[in-house]
Amino acid sequence: MTDLLIGLASIVATITIFGLASMIYKKYPISILLPILTSVLTIVSLLLLLQIPYETYMIGGKWLDHLLGPAVVALAYPLYKQWQLLRAYMLPIMMGVFMGSIIGVSSGIALTNWLSFTEEILYSIASKSVTTPVSMEVTTTIGGVPSLAAIFVIIAGITGATLGKVIFSKSKLTNKIATGVGMGTASHAIGTARIMRDGELEGAVSSVAMTISAIIVATFTPFLVQVLL
Amino acid sequence: MKIVHILLNIVVIYIFYWTGVKLQQILNLFIPGSVIGMIFCFLFLHFNIIKPSWVEAGARLLISYMPLLFIPVTAGIINYLGFFAGKGMVLIAIIVISTVLVMISSGHIVQYIMHRKETNND
Repeated sequence: MTDLLIGLASIVATITIFGLASMIYKKYPISILLPILTSVLTIVSLLLLLQIPYETYMIGGKWLDHLLGPAVVALAYPLYKQWQLLRAYMLPIMMGVFMGSIIGVSSGIALTNWLSFTEEILYSIASKSVTTPVSMEVTTTIGGVPSLAAIFVIIAGITGATLGKVIFSKSKLTNKIATGVGMGTASHAIGTARIMRDGELEGAVSSVAMTISAIIVATFTPFLVQVLL
Repeated sequence: MKIVHILLNIVVIYIFYWTGVKLQQILNLFIPGSVIGMIFCFLFLHFNIIKPSWVEAGARLLISYMPLLFIPVTAGIINYLGFFAGKGMVLIAIIVISTVLVMISSGHIVQYIMHRKETNND
């Protein structure tokens, strides 16, 4: 009974905070006010302030968590709608995703190695550009810490969601297929959720990119780790 | 009535999700169940095995609330605040740099190839 009440309270709180954060973002659409960022910061601050353990919050949080999988499945719909265009540009999409995935893994490994972090951390950061389950799996295979990998994945996702728009305009990326590939390859589903709001085409491209990138990263990371170290 | 329709859509989506998860477990695949479910749902739509109206409204709803669904997992960062307060801060910088590199490089590769293709066609 108490669990049910705690669960409901954390769901209601999360939805309310997200609703308010979305309203603020609608009024002031600047990157650092992105709802996911402000909502998470608010919730983390509240939990710390009220001394509520994360595990208690997750009694309700896990219900929202359970819908994440189906939400990823739902990306099949925009994919289906945009298929004609996607098929026409499959070659550039594939090339972009492939190169981007390799650059993501290599740059993560190289920078962490250069700043002499432990191998454990290096293995956990390697697959940060792909969706959490894949990244945790890859991390386990090569000998990193899966829970740390999950956090790195989230940071990569938030980076893309908040900075994506600025980066695209500063680096003169105007083509919708190009921005979709950039977002999906770098920031998986968190980035895809963000770019879907700009348009269905870039959203669909981003879904394709995050899927292909997950496959490439899972396949090549163990190899890249060997070559680069 | 509309709510019932959306709920039924979500049930259909959930079946694809569940199938994906089961397949992943049985075949021990490295691709997550949700992504396998997405591929299946796409194939079923593409080959007209299911009608778009069976998933459309539910899919739109789930996608538009996707950022909300990421909040609980992301708040898990609370258990690592100590780690990121120290040397871990540098790791955040590394991830940001690497992520920006990926966005710019992959995007520009696509834009370059598409542009070249278009000029060649002229």
